[in-house]
Amino acid sequence: MAEFTASVFQNEYLPDGGTDVNAIVTVTCAGAGTAGQTGGGAAGEIIIVDTSGSMGPQTMAAAKQAATAALNEIVDGTWFAVIAGSDRAMLAYPAVSSGPGLVQMSAQTRSQAQQAVSRFVGSGGTAISTWLDLAGQLFGSVPQVTQRHAILLTDGENRERDDTFEAAIARATGYFQCDCRGAGTDWQVDEIRRISQALLGTVDIIPEPGQMETQFREMMRTSMSRGVAEAQLRVWSPQGAQVLFVRQVSPTVEDLTDRRVVINPLTGGYPTGAWSDESRDYHVAVRVAAKAIGQEQLAARVMLAVGDDVLAQALVKATWSGNSELTAKIDQQVAHYTGQTELAAMIQEGLAAKASGDEATATTKLGRAVQLAAETGNDEATSKLKKVVDVQNEREGTVRLKAAINKADEMALDTASTKTTRIKK
Amino acid sequence: MSTPSSCPACGEVLPEGAVFCEACGSKVTGPSSVGTGDVDVAAEPAPFEELGSGPISAPTRITPLAGSPGFSGASGSGAAGDRPCLACGAEVDADGYCTSCGTKQPSERDHFRETPASWVAGVCDRGIVHSGNEDAMALLADEPAGSRAVLVVLDGVSSSIDSDVASLAGARAARETLRTPLPRGMGTDQGRDAAVAAAFAHTIEAANGAIVETTAADSDSPASATFSVAVVEGNRLSVANIGDSRVYWVPDVGEALQVTVDDSAAQQLMEAGMDREAAENGPQGHAITRWLGRDAPDLTPRVAALDLTGPGWVLNCSDGLWNYISEPSAITEQVRAVEATGATAPLDVALGLTAYANACGGRDNITVTLARIDAPVPATGQNPVPTNEID
Repeated sequence: MAEFTASVFQNEYLPDGGTDVNAIVTVTCAGAGTAGQTGGGAAGEIIIVDTSGSMGPQTMAAAKQAATAALNEIVDGTWFAVIAGSDRAMLAYPAVSSGPGLVQMSAQTRSQAQQAVSRFVGSGGTAISTWLDLAGQLFGSVPQVTQRHAILLTDGENRERDDTFEAAIARATGYFQCDCRGAGTDWQVDEIRRISQALLGTVDIIPEPGQMETQFREMMRTSMSRGVAEAQLRVWSPQGAQVLFVRQVSPTVEDLTDRRVVINPLTGGYPTGAWSDESRDYHVAVRVAAKAIGQEQLAARVMLAVGDDVLAQALVKATWSGNSELTAKIDQQVAHYTGQTELAAMIQEGLAAKASGDEATATTKLGRAVQLAAETGNDEATSKLKKVVDVQNEREGTVRLKAAINKADEMALDTASTKTTRIKK
Repeated sequence: MSTPSSCPACGEVLPEGAVFCEACGSKVTGPSSVGTGDVDVAAEPAPFEELGSGPISAPTRITPLAGSPGFSGASGSGAAGDRPCLACGAEVDADGYCTSCGTKQPSERDHFRETPASWVAGVCDRGIVHSGNEDAMALLADEPAGSRAVLVVLDGVSSSIDSDVASLAGARAARETLRTPLPRGMGTDQGRDAAVAAAFAHTIEAANGAIVETTAADSDSPASATFSVAVVEGNRLSVANIGDSRVYWVPDVGEALQVTVDDSAAQQLMEAGMDREAAENGPQGHAITRWLGRDAPDLTPRVAALDLTGPGWVLNCSDGLWNYISEPSAITEQVRAVEATGATAPLDVALGLTAYANACGGRDNITVTLARIDAPVPATGQNPVPTNEID
């Protein structure tokens, strides 16, 4: 049985009249076990591979190899399927047209699935909504599957109306999780990130076909280690208080504020997806009515619930004080993650400005990003930024856009923008 | 035990041998409990941990004494969640925070209320600045309204150890001696006064005995407390005090009257001709000249009586309240202000006055006890032995 713990980092002291309480809550899971093996329902995995005409022979060969490797990682007994996606979605394996659309992994089904993958041929366009919808139907055809995860690989831009695409994402949201990978540089980071953010997954670029196999193996291995199918972050706040935002801030920045579901009038639930043995940080900000100096109150209870069971809880407090030495301090963790959240926004906004030809804005935003990456010790962001801009002064945040930028480097900076580092102890 | 010459938390000059700062309540020997920014969630005691039948106020105790009084406030039992939230009335979680408004609930020793009869109530509150509540009260009252009430207030001196335990024990012991009515003497006023003084002397002795009993034999800073009692019997208000807790008569018409006389340096200065404001705010304004406890200089209370002629309030309070409204006119004004908010029940008026003191800064523990007098008439015939049990 998995065990969750929660700890809180905050400065609980507010000045006279202060109303906003910020806290970082670290939630840690231990003893998660293996997906589908902990008695809470079966696990399902679907591998979705882009088989549109844009997939070049080299990329297609790599994709087949990667899907084969991923199938090797799926634990026996896990329900699975493989989808070949183009301008429509085709169920490549199992070869059924009605009834359950997933089969359980065994030596025999694995080898059959790998044969099906080897027969992939690229043709047609790209309509990702159909891929997501088929995945949802397949998961739905096997009711005992409660932990649903997909891997999606694409190499090109989605050729669909935006509302069609959005609607399909909305249908899948809260039903299955999806990690997305883009091969090469002809796909749109923004587009694919919309899927991964809504479906609580990751997004990354695979610039070279040779790296595909390793990435797929890793993704599937991680998914199989998630023994907790689904957990919910719950935030109680006092009567009359306002939850300003709830964000996951580590390992990546994901704003959960709008994902709130009502648990009771004072408590909201936020999806966190499946958990392996890992630790995640959340930034919770609550606005409460100011009280008199010396008063103490609870500003939030941050809980981690699996089903109806609350497995861990952290208390976020507010104490009004007249001592400015106490109230002026900003908690180190809060400051660190506030910087990292801004860093992610600066990178994304800077690259968007650059794409639209607004070089002045791009230079300012990416300059600020360089400054924040240095201040918060995010070395990965610093090194990725340096491939896109020439840094003149890191501390001041003055940069110049590089004259020639490798497209893959720019996309890698974009996909990695939400990755955060933990505070250096 | 070494005492720094000034409080590390607030800088107040400390008397020799002080264990707690009288200004802010911080412990001044050993680690200070005030001013540290890091709060360990797990190490913080649950606010209700110390309740039930165990000894009160565990944190400052040195030697747990067998037979020390268990704490049971007005509601009787003290389990977590028993009392509704003091701020909004909703349910309180087991960890001491309100499930609706999030307000941290004080421990029962830090804030308790008593309402022994419809016309008598009291509030004993930690205030804001001090970390513990060394004030105590014990009330007794009969129905119908105006028949008989006893209001006991003790203000534990916070520069000594265990004053919170001692003051509550003392208040309760004093109340027990006053379950029987005060003597009416043998016809003459002098005889009556002498008999009442003797009865109050017995009360003081019991209170002092209880305080000394809770003091560790080897304590170099023995618990001590002020003492004031108001007894209402019909239209007669009898008071006795040692130290600077005060009884006021606040008539509905006209100005309040301070019935007790303080045993304080400020009072001595006033008797020497200094005006009240200067005396009470001077460097020795809060020094008391007499108190209860093992090192009490003398135990003879100041005794006084007043015949009530109209409706009003008998107020027995600690300096946590009167510090902010010492002048009788200020007391009058504040009682009227609380009444103007619609408060008529004694508990509501007491809560209103407590809230006022906290709004003024709550620099000391606050005790406010009140008896509402509507139509004072002489107590008739033999006073019945009270049967009202409030514990």
